[in-house]
Formats: sequence, C-alpha cells, structure tokens
Amino acid sequence: MNALFSQLVMLGSSGMLLTALIVLWRKSVPSYISAYRWQAWLLAAVTATVAYFAGDRQLFAVAAALVALKGFAIPALLRTMQQRFGAQPQIKPYVNTETSLCVAGLLVMFAYVLARPWMAVTHLPTRGGLPLAMALLFVSLFIIVSRRKAITQVIGFLMLENAIALLAVVGTYGVPLLVEVGVFLDALMGFLVMQIFVYHIHETFDTIDVEQLTHLRH
Amino acid sequence: MSRFLALVVQTLVAVALAPALTGFIRWLKARLQGRRGAPPWQPYFEIRKLFGKEAVVSHTASWIFTATPFVVFSTAVVVASLVPLVVVPSGPFVAGDLFAAVYLLLLGTFFLALAGLDTGSPFGGMGASREMTVVALTEPTVALSIVALALNAGSTSFSQIVAHTLAEPSAALGSEHLLAFAALFIVTLAETGRLPVDNPSTHLELTMIHEAMVLEYSGPYLALVEWGAALKLLIFLALAANLFVPWGIALSFSPVALLIGLVSLIVKLAVLSAAVAVLETRVAKLRLFRVPELLSASFVLALLAVMSTFLAR
Amino acid sequence: MLTLSLLLGPPLLASCLSILVRRHARLVGWAGVAGLSLSFAASIALCVEVVTGGSATAGHALPDLWHIDALSALVALCIAFVALLASASGPGLVGRDDGYDEAQTRRFRIFTNAFAFTMLAAVTIQNVALMWVAVEATTIMSAMIIPLRRTKASVEASWKYLLICSVGIALAFTGTVLAYFDFVATAGDVPGSLNWTALRAAAPSLHPELLQLAFAFILVGYGTKAGLAPMHTWLPDAHSEAPAPVSAMMSGVLLAVAMYAIARWKAVVDAAVDPAFTCNLLIGFGLLSVAIGVFSLVIQRHYKRMLAYSSVEHMGLVSIGLALGPLGVFAAWLHVMNHAVAKSTSFLLAGRVLHRYDTTEIEKVTGLLRVMPWTGPLFAAGVLALVGLPPFGLFVSEFLLVRAAVLTRRFWLAGIVLLLLLTAFVSLLGHLNRMLYGDAPAGVRVGERGGWAVATLAVSIGLLVAFGVALPSAISTLIHQSVAALIP
Repeated sequence: MNALFSQLVMLGSSGMLLTALIVLWRKSVPSYISAYRWQAWLLAAVTATVAYFAGDRQLFAVAAALVALKGFAIPALLRTMQQRFGAQPQIKPYVNTETSLCVAGLLVMFAYVLARPWMAVTHLPTRGGLPLAMALLFVSLFIIVSRRKAITQVIGFLMLENAIALLAVVGTYGVPLLVEVGVFLDALMGFLVMQIFVYHIHETFDTIDVEQLTHLRH
Repeated sequence: MSRFLALVVQTLVAVALAPALTGFIRWLKARLQGRRGAPPWQPYFEIRKLFGKEAVVSHTASWIFTATPFVVFSTAVVVASLVPLVVVPSGPFVAGDLFAAVYLLLLGTFFLALAGLDTGSPFGGMGASREMTVVALTEPTVALSIVALALNAGSTSFSQIVAHTLAEPSAALGSEHLLAFAALFIVTLAETGRLPVDNPSTHLELTMIHEAMVLEYSGPYLALVEWGAALKLLIFLALAANLFVPWGIALSFSPVALLIGLVSLIVKLAVLSAAVAVLETRVAKLRLFRVPELLSASFVLALLAVMSTFLAR
Repeated sequence: MLTLSLLLGPPLLASCLSILVRRHARLVGWAGVAGLSLSFAASIALCVEVVTGGSATAGHALPDLWHIDALSALVALCIAFVALLASASGPGLVGRDDGYDEAQTRRFRIFTNAFAFTMLAAVTIQNVALMWVAVEATTIMSAMIIPLRRTKASVEASWKYLLICSVGIALAFTGTVLAYFDFVATAGDVPGSLNWTALRAAAPSLHPELLQLAFAFILVGYGTKAGLAPMHTWLPDAHSEAPAPVSAMMSGVLLAVAMYAIARWKAVVDAAVDPAFTCNLLIGFGLLSVAIGVFSLVIQRHYKRMLAYSSVEHMGLVSIGLALGPLGVFAAWLHVMNHAVAKSTSFLLAGRVLHRYDTTEIEKVTGLLRVMPWTGPLFAAGVLALVGLPPFGLFVSEFLLVRAAVLTRRFWLAGIVLLLLLTAFVSLLGHLNRMLYGDAPAGVRVGERGGWAVATLAVSIGLLVAFGVALPSAISTLIHQSVAALIP
C-alpha cells in the first residue's frame, strides 16, 4: 500500500517537473498556460492522494480549492491576458532552448544533492517527492530569470508557488488549514496584482518585453 | 530447440518482418490521411524489384561506397540476434549487451555517412553532415537511457534487465521507467529518420537527412540499405517494447514459449508502429535548427530518469 | 486585547472607509490620519504595558495568534509613528494641488492604510507562517502604490519590486516549510507548532543541517525584502519612484519588518546550531550591503536614489549588529528605531523638494537653503543624521555597533565599517553641499511659508536629537528587553 502511495506521489511530482520543462522547451505562451494548467491539476491530484492515504480530510478541501483556483480561475485569467496582447513578435529569451534545458538538468541534479540529508531525516512514504519539489523550485526560478516576456515571468512565479505547495504537501502532509488559507489568498492577490502590472507595462511600453524596462540605471 | 537454432530463427524472423513493419507504417499513414495506400507488403515487392536491377556506381566512389550496404545490413542482422526480440538471449553464444547493440547500429550509420561523402555529390555530403549532427546529439541520451535501465537491474545485459522488470511489475509504472521510455522513443524517431526529425517519404533533397545519404545507391545496394534501415527500425521499436513492457517474451526455448514470444512481439510492434504512424500524421517536420531543442529535451528526460533511479536506491 | 485592536483596527478600517466612501475625500483622508494617530497611541500604550508588565503582554486575553513581546512592541511603535507621519503628509489633505487626481489620491489612501495594517500584523503575529503571509501582503499593498503616477520609470520600478520581492518571499516560505518539516519529523504534528515560542523550545532537538539550510533560504528570502545586497537591486528603483510618503514607509519601516523576521529566525536557529553560523552569514551579507550602498552613494546623481542607497547601507549595519552579541543586538535595534525616524523624515522632506523643484537630479537642485528656508535646513539635518553625526541618534547606535565589534574581537570588521562610514560621510556631504548652496535655478519660486506639515517634520528631527543626546530610559529598557527576548 505504501509502495503504491509512494509511486503515485512520485509520478505526480515528476509530472509537475516535466510541465515546468515544457515552459523551457516551447516558445508559445498558450502552451505555457496549458503546461501551468496541467501542473495545477497534478498538484491537486498529489494533494488528494496524500489526503486519501494519510486520512486527512482537510487536504481534500485544499485539493478542491487548488483545482478551482489554480486549475480553472488562474489559467482563464492568463488566457484573457494572452488574448489581450494579441500577436507579439517572437521575443527570444535570455538563454536559448538547448542551454535552458541543460541548465534545468543541472538544477535537478543540484536539487537531488541538496535534498539527500532531508530524505534521511524523515520516514514518510512521500519523501521521494522532496527533491522533485526542490528541483521544480529551482527550475521555476530559472524560468523567471531567463525569460523576457513579462507574462512568462508571471507563469514562472506561479510555478514557484506550486513548487512550494508541493514541498509542503510532500514533506509535512500540508500545513495547518489557517496557513493554507492565508497562502491561497496571498497567491491569488499576488497574481491579480501581477496581472494588473502586465497590463500597465503593456500600456506604458507598448510591449511586454521586459528588456525594454531599462530606464532606471544606477 | 537448441539455443543456437532459436537465435537463428529469431534473426530470420526479424529480417523477414522488417519490410512489413515499414510497409505497415506507410499504409496506416495513408489511411489516416484519407488515401487507400499501398498494401503493407509493398516493400517486399520493391526489394525484389531492386535486386533484379543493375547497380550504377560512380567512378569517383571508393570501396567504402560498395561496402557500406553490406556493413549496414550485416550489423543490423547481428544486432537482431543480440537483442531480446522473441526470446531473451542468454548463455555463451551472446557476446554483447545493450551497449554493444547500440554501438553496432551506430557503426552502420557511420559507414552510411562516409558513403554519402564518398560519391562527392553535394546532397550526399549535406545528408552526411546533418545525420552526424543528429546522431551526435542522440548519443548522450541513448547512453543515459541505457544507464537508467541498467542501474535498476544492476547490469547492462538484456536478460538481467528483462528479468528485473518481470520480477517487479510495479516498477514499470515508476517515473524512471516512463521517463527513460519517453527519451528512448524520441531517440528512436531521430535515429531511424522518422518525423519530426526527418521525413522518410520526402522528394525534396534539401529536406532530406537519411535519404540524402543514400541518394546515389541503386539496384541491390539500395535494396540492402533499405532493408537494413527497416531492420534498424524494427530493432529499436522492439527494444523499446521489450525492455519496458517485457511480458510475453520467451524466457525458455520451448516451442510454446517461442510462439507466444513471436505473437507478443508482433502485437507490441503493431501498437508501437501505429503510435509512430499517428505521430507522423500529426506533427510537422522540425526545421533543422530546432532538432537540437527536441534532442536536448530528450536528454533532460533521460537525465531525470537516471536521477530518479539514483533516488530509488 | 483592547490596545491590540486599537493598534491594528484603525488602519484596516481607514482602508475600508477609503474603498467604500467616494465623496468627502478630504474628510476621509483626515479620518485616516486620526485612525493612525489612534494606532500610534495604542502602540505607545503597548510599549508601556510591556516595559512595566514584563516581557510578554497578558497572554490570556489574546487569542493564540498574537504575541507581543518587547521586540514586537518596539517595531510596532516605529511602524505606527512612520505611518502616521506618512499619512499626514499624503496628498489631498489640504487644499493645494499635490499633482495627484482624485482616483490616485483614493488609491493612495486605500493601499497606504492597508500597507500599515499588514506591517503591524506581521510584527504582532506569532505564527511564523502567518507572519509570512502578512509580509507577502505588504509587498502586494506597497506595489500597488508605487506607480501612483503611471510613468515608464515607475511601472518599471514597481514590476521589478513585485517580481524580485515575491520571489524572495517565496524562498523565505521554502525556508519556513523546511523548518516546519524538521519540526514535524522530530516532534510530530503538534498544534501551535508554527509559533516562535514552540519552535524555539523545540530547536535543540531539531537537526542542525536542516535548520542551517532553512536559515540560508530565510536569510536570502527576507533579506531580499530587507534590501540586503546582492538582492537589493529593486530597492533604489522602487524607493525613488514611489511617492514620498510611500518611500518613507517602505524605507523607514518595511525594511525593519524584514530584519525583524530575520532576527526572530536567528534566535530559533541559534538554539540548535552554533551561533557562529548565522553570525557569519549575517556579517557577510551586511558587510556586502554596506559596501555596495556606500559605493553607490559616491556616484549618485539623484537625491532620492541617494537616500535609497543609504537605506541599503543602514540595513547592512543592522545586519552586522545582529551578529555581534547582546551589545550588537542592542545597537542594531536602536539603529532601526533611529533610522526609521531619520529616513522617513528625509524622504518626506525630499518629497517637498521634488514638489518645488520638479526634478530629481542633484545638480539641478541648488540654493535649497534660500529657496525653502524651512525645508532646506531640515533636509540638511536629516542627511547629517543619516551620515551618523552627533548629536543625532544614529551616531549613538553606530558608535555602539563599532564598540560591539571591538568587544567581540572583530577588529577588522570595526575598521572596515568605519572606513565605509567615512566614505559615506564624504559622499553624502558632498551631494548635500551641492544642493544647499548656490543660486536658485530659474523658474523656481523662492520662499516658503511655514506650516503645520513642516512643523511635524521639525518635531521628528527634534526627536532624533533627543534620542542622540538623552535616550529616554523607557525606550532603553524596551530595547534591553528586546535583546533579552532574542538572546536569552
């Protein structure tokens, strides 16, 4: 039973990591939004799996909220944003695709090395997901740093939040409900504000290429 | 049935089935595209036709040009006897393992590239350089996928790997297996010259990779090269199927087991080639400078597979 | 309980009021100021309560969520004071034209009050994760008011701020989750396990390597919010592009809130790991911040950015102070308090200068003493205070800091800090000189009416002098108790 639990959680976490790699691989924003949607659903699935096997009812509610918020609401808002900006010229990222993918591989290795001591500490059956959550964290950070479209940076940030949520679920079977609610609200507000800002950038600069944001130096 | 005989029969079966595999994929693609298509056994007729024709060889070609078709065909045949197709090879007759199989196939590719350069035709040279680029990028992925499988099983010999997967069915669902399978599948598409890396039915020379290298071949040489390529596709698909979904493969040499092994091989090949046909119908050929992106993605998948395997220990 | 609700309630209510009521804008504005003065009074009452009643307020009256000890009370006092000052200097309160229209003024009021509320909540909540939620909320609230006037520069500044600080905060949450993970793995899921007190008590039994890693994440995360180098890149842009009251709040107290979080976590981690680990990290980041802040001051061409880099330098000093034992921690919190007053006042004065001269460049602002006979000397006093000259309070705290470095036998650190402070002194004074003297530029109205607005800022400067000359014993006790709360 524990082995099945472990395998399912590992499968879900690997899936989440792969969706982050899709953002590094593909070049079109609608594919990023689909990747994020898959990631959110996988996170909800992992949370529900942990809820089922660990017998924690509250996590079911958390999983449902995840689906509602990150599986439906946020991708819909992202899609509206994407349609608003219409056809943007192909903006090359700071790091090209092959290098990005290789760097992502290195980051995954780094995450595995970093997570070794933690895995030794705990006996939870979900501990296999810890390095994957850390890897997702680092890859999301890399996405934020290496991409030039503001909307891609927002998606990278959303994936960062997913990574931390996965870390909490896999490492500690979730955090207390009050904290969960607070983090949800924060995530939602943060996303809404970022959305407002992408609109601002588009209105002021007529592009969402953040390379143009270079007025302020020293 | 003695081991030796069983292996010989396995090799002959593979050699005989290979053109049918290519024909099946072609036929399925035609049906998916709304055409009737040639029957799946059309390649047999083509090979027979080519053997009856005269071979025309350029004056400037060296012995490499004439030797290459034999190298390509023979390496493919040797690998077909090494690889678990119908039965898992084991015992004193088997001289190689997973690494040997892959790098023997690579020997054939290498000679093909040389032959492309040998005739001095510009398309041959272009095809050779493109093929080498693709192969250079797939090599690390192949090695890593092999390592991922071997780490789990503790050895690179096929019998060990198959035995390990059969002993632990739940491992087949594991992320390392799926990741390695995905990486190997992408590599298969790249190495055997299928979409989205290379279009096997293109007529435009500037879009060719594999076809450009064999552009100068005619008659029996062409027949051997085509047959060798078909055999290579069969080997790769059968490897992918039997290493990751080994149920049905013959573990002993009894006639019943062999028959079951043959039937399961045909079923798995049919499934995989249908997948290849559907994929080829859906995706467009990648522009050449986008191919490294696809291959880097497969490399990272293989890397993740190895990482997961380390974790499971 | 009553004092706590009087502390937190008014800013929240003022924000809601600004959202709901659209007419009588000036009345709403004054109501907000009145609310914040109520908060300020409540924070003073809390400090008195803590100083007389011991190191923790009556726990039985407060739900388990809040816990106010001396450190919380001290930082809350600074926050309430700066918030009051900033809100009283906000747009739309007096009849004259501030350059902001009605919608912008309303947005200012909503988010400034919400900002003050979230900062106060962050220092009074004892659950580390909910404190994190409050700190993230401060990022969001402050990011909404930086681009009050939507120019290219302000949009760019606020985008960088939002993204960099959100990423930093996410890393801080990772550290929090790691520490919680260690706690759960060792002690099981206990209710109240995310409170400071529980974490601190359980710390000796937690795994040192895990806590070290968690602290690294937390330092980088909250350090981004605090403006520690090399994560400070958002700071000069955000603090210079924001309207003056917002810059005052951000520079004065938001950085202090982030340092508060770091100090709390340091206390937890020090109970499990050799303190040398956290001290070395803090000194490393602090020294880097001071160096980068000081050297950026030398080549500076805009006075608001100059003040922003000075914040980086001062937060570096605070970080160093936290690593230097009890005297260092005392110096650090004294410095936080002095800096809050000095920086906020300076930013508000800079706002007045900007309003008159309509330029942010130092070389275009000349003859300040003649053009604005009230603001000019006060601004000079503010900058001199930031440089660390006596008789202002920052001199005392910096002196104590250097003394702490010497006492802990880190002579090299004392030497480097003194050298950097000297460089800062020279550059800031040079810039100040160019601004104060000379002829007034053409097109700028000369002369200034004194008003209550300038008078309040003069009172702040007076407070700084008072702190420098004779620190009231109540405040001294409060800071001593804060030190005791961190280092038992």
